[in-house]
Amino acid sequence: MDYLLIGIVDVFTGPSLLWVAAGVLLGYILGAIPGLGKATGVAVSIPLTFYLDPVSALGLLIGIAKGSGAGSAVSAILLNTPGEPSSAPTALDGYPLARQGKAQKALKMGLFASVIGDFLSTLVLIVLAAPLARYALLIGPVELCAILVFSLTFIGGLSGGSMIKGLIAACFGIFFATVGMETETFVPRLTFGFLQLSDGISLVPMAIGMLAVAEMIVQAGNLRELDAQAGRMKDGDDPDDRRITGAEWRRSAPAIARGTLIGSVVGILPGLGASVGSFLSYGATRRASKTPEKFGTGMIEGVAAAESADNAVVPSSLIPLFALGIPGSVIAAILIAAFILHGLTPGPRMFVEQPRMVADLYVAMLSASLIMLALGYAGQRVFAMIIRVPLRLIIPGVLLFCCVGAYMDTSNVFSIYIMLAFTVVGFLSRKLDFSFVTFLIGFVIAPKLELSFRQSLQLLNHDWANLARHPIAIVFFLAAIVTVLAVARKEAGHTAVTVDTEREERT
Amino acid sequence: MTTRRNLIAAAAGLVLGASGLLPGAAAAQDYPTRPITMLVGYGAGGQTDLIARASAKVLADQLGQPINVVNKPGAGGAVAANELRNMAPDGYTMLFQSNAVVNAAPFLMDRVDFTPDDFEYAGMITAYQTGMAAPKDAPYDDLPGFIAWAKENPGFAYAALSAEARMYMDRISEKEGLQANAVPVQSGAEMVNTLIAKQVAVAFSGGIHYRYPDEIKTIAPTTTFRHPSAPDVPTIEEAGFPLAMDTRTVIMLPKGTPQDILERISTALKAAETDPEFIKVTEAADIPIMYYDAAAAKQEMHDTYAKNKAILTGSD
Repeated sequence: MDYLLIGIVDVFTGPSLLWVAAGVLLGYILGAIPGLGKATGVAVSIPLTFYLDPVSALGLLIGIAKGSGAGSAVSAILLNTPGEPSSAPTALDGYPLARQGKAQKALKMGLFASVIGDFLSTLVLIVLAAPLARYALLIGPVELCAILVFSLTFIGGLSGGSMIKGLIAACFGIFFATVGMETETFVPRLTFGFLQLSDGISLVPMAIGMLAVAEMIVQAGNLRELDAQAGRMKDGDDPDDRRITGAEWRRSAPAIARGTLIGSVVGILPGLGASVGSFLSYGATRRASKTPEKFGTGMIEGVAAAESADNAVVPSSLIPLFALGIPGSVIAAILIAAFILHGLTPGPRMFVEQPRMVADLYVAMLSASLIMLALGYAGQRVFAMIIRVPLRLIIPGVLLFCCVGAYMDTSNVFSIYIMLAFTVVGFLSRKLDFSFVTFLIGFVIAPKLELSFRQSLQLLNHDWANLARHPIAIVFFLAAIVTVLAVARKEAGHTAVTVDTEREERT
Repeated sequence: MTTRRNLIAAAAGLVLGASGLLPGAAAAQDYPTRPITMLVGYGAGGQTDLIARASAKVLADQLGQPINVVNKPGAGGAVAANELRNMAPDGYTMLFQSNAVVNAAPFLMDRVDFTPDDFEYAGMITAYQTGMAAPKDAPYDDLPGFIAWAKENPGFAYAALSAEARMYMDRISEKEGLQANAVPVQSGAEMVNTLIAKQVAVAFSGGIHYRYPDEIKTIAPTTTFRHPSAPDVPTIEEAGFPLAMDTRTVIMLPKGTPQDILERISTALKAAETDPEFIKVTEAADIPIMYYDAAAAKQEMHDTYAKNKAILTGSD
């Protein structure tokens, strides 16, 4: 505790705060530009931090990571093109809101939900890092496998209009996830002789193609209509369209709380990542809602749920890193290098050997949340003006950034080809009304599910009976079965009802 | 007449030839006159990337030109190495990589067919402390102890991050009649996780486990040398299995890079041995510095290629 006070003095008197602010600003902008994201931003900035003191350097990097989480909501809401895959669910309700002239309302909710999720999750990191990380080790491959099976049941809730189409899209996502070196025997699968495919299809260029480029193409085909609409939209005349009303806060508060919880838990679990967090949170909020059918038409809770979880993942994914030295996410893995470079070896001994630096870092992280709030609030008015710019001027710029972002993922032109291939998939799925959300969930979860399933088979020595030693896994497997049965029953109920009404009409 | 024409032609040829040669020679002497690109065949943030960036800093100081580190991940570095093969051999593009991409990958991956003669080598700087690691409280401390334990516990699990790891356990199991389950893991972090959580009996590590001295111990280095971080643990060869395969970080250049450019880089790299910042980075990550100059690096590539071929393809 004493160290936290020293930390506050350290951070607020030195240049660190300035660097944190620079990081948040940079991250916010990178996040808002479709194609460029936090992983790129942090990785590229590491060499820049050689010349900074450790706290400034790490503050800058963490600022970038946090800022981009919040920034990605901006383009999701205004352009329907998420700056990062993890903000895809934000666009589902944020974009309709913007089209209704409520862009500022959606942007504010996105920002507040981001900041709250981020701040609370940072507190969780500070208070619970050590005890929680020990607990996270109890979640081995067998438990993780069960949790992933359970989370797949959320696909049903996210399918949009047709559950069958949603499931088909999810299967395609899983199919594309099988490309690459098979993990157990190291046999290449579906690589067609391309070495570049041996590590699988990379999420970043694929998501850029499906989400951003495909959306731009769809919009380019609608230019006349969109231009006409833009004339009418601007901002609504009603002041309530620009701010969040009390009633909306009451509706969104549980969604934010749920999102923060889901995001924090997903962050601690190894290898899941922000996309899984925001999709699960959106799905859970939709399921808990009394009017799930209205989601996708501009429900403010949808924005709150997705953004709070998206941003809660970043700080909590540092918990395994701080407490055990194990990176829980891509960002954490990149940060390890920066930590070591600046003389801080992540892990339990870090707290004993350099408590002052850790405290400085905590203070820097908390101030990053607040700086994000200030910057985002100041910026949202400016950002909202984008919606008045004719789309014909925006599209070429977005496409350029998409190509840059895809290229930077591997410094290889092959990534741009992948982006283009998935642009076609994304375009067709929009035109044929297949959910690209369930496609992405399938793609994100499938490799982890396959790996943990194969690990489980080996760890259980190929014997069902050994599952008895993993009670947590059994609970999640049962929960998955119960959910599937419940959904099936509900669906069956629906069909029965429609059949009945038809019969009545005929008679 | 004809002689005169011949003379002119010969003179022209000489001038042309000389003008073609001279800039090349001058370029090698002044090297480097512009920024150098250093490829790294892994994503940013990994162990090798860390060493590459630290080395790039030393080289930039020594050579007086900035070095841009570019991450080109894919197929354990094979994608980057493939691209390097098609680069101009002028010393301005180099690849910093684990030498396994040349001396092991061709025997493990279908589409990789590198030989040591496909590249030039400007030196090696660190070695990987690859080996078998186990949870700290495991009831065995070395390979014979583990084998005795494994015979009592058939169906034990071990974590395998690479095809080499499976090969090691397959060979040991074959000889000793063990029954082992290979748990696939996808990253060093995940491998460490399985050990700390005691999900597996042993794991094959690239050296990252030395960061967790309170939870993990080494039971058999799979290198020809004993690990500087655990000098008391006998290697796999000392335990009677001639399977040791050394892996080092190497600076590779396209075939045909002039010898004096290689020497220049090699000399610059030697400064890393004593550079305080480089030492700080490697010490924090428990990576021993073992400098080889250009000639020694070339020799090492040829030796390990032949040895690994024998081990991995079983044609010994």
